[in-house]
Amino acid sequence: APRAVIKVTLLRHEPTGKPITLEGLFVGGSAGYAEGKLMQSHPLSLCNTSEDERQESDFISIVKLESPERKVPQCLPLLKKARLALERGAQAVIFDVTDDKDAALELHESDSLPLPVVLVKAKDAEELMGLVNKNEEARVRIDIKKEDPKWPHYD
Amino acid sequence: EGPPSCSNGCERCSEYNGCIKCKPKLFILLERNDIRQIGVCLASCPQGYFGMRTPDTNRCIQCKIENCEECFNRNFCTKCKEGLYSHRGRCYPSCPEGLSTTNGTMECVE
Repeated sequence: APRAVIKVTLLRHEPTGKPITLEGLFVGGSAGYAEGKLMQSHPLSLCNTSEDERQESDFISIVKLESPERKVPQCLPLLKKARLALERGAQAVIFDVTDDKDAALELHESDSLPLPVVLVKAKDAEELMGLVNKNEEARVRIDIKKEDPKWPHYD
Repeated sequence: EGPPSCSNGCERCSEYNGCIKCKPKLFILLERNDIRQIGVCLASCPQGYFGMRTPDTNRCIQCKIENCEECFNRNFCTKCKEGLYSHRGRCYPSCPEGLSTTNGTMECVE
């Protein structure tokens, strides 16, 4: 699956304007460009029962997935959670899968997601969730990472 | 790093999501605070929400009706905001045509 480059620009505090560059993995055939304000979604907010708290239009949802051992009520498969977030106006969805190794498998089975869905983990996820935890207003731009050519150029 | 100490009434919580499972009988409310959205546990749901119990979890769900303070379910208001009239679970600035209130209530009837 193509890798994603995630550029995060803080809107209120230093270093404003200077993007933080992180990486992730596109899933569900959803590689592409997206831009929006970073907005956390609690895993339970992406259930059929939950309300459609439609915010402004251009936001990117970030969801911290809990480890399966913690037995958080699942309510919907991950793919449907991703679709639900996109239907509610998210320009893209970022899943922090640091604690849920199976999430990647579950999301790999599809290739029909209409907008970018990206998995992040470890250092990249920690940076993003750190911003969320501090309620740091941030703008996120997601794009396909240009891979270096595999074969060196022969003259 | 041990599990963070959970807030009142919370059985299972995490640093980023707040509460992820409340103790029995309590409702989980997903509280939006700017960018963050965390779970908190309540004995009853706040104004503008109703409590929905399911086998998995008890949730506070937002009333979908405009100008509603208390609702029975998403689409049926049981108490409108002050100064508004209610009719069949909806809230109005004045009674719909052909209806009127009786003995000082804010309920519109035929």
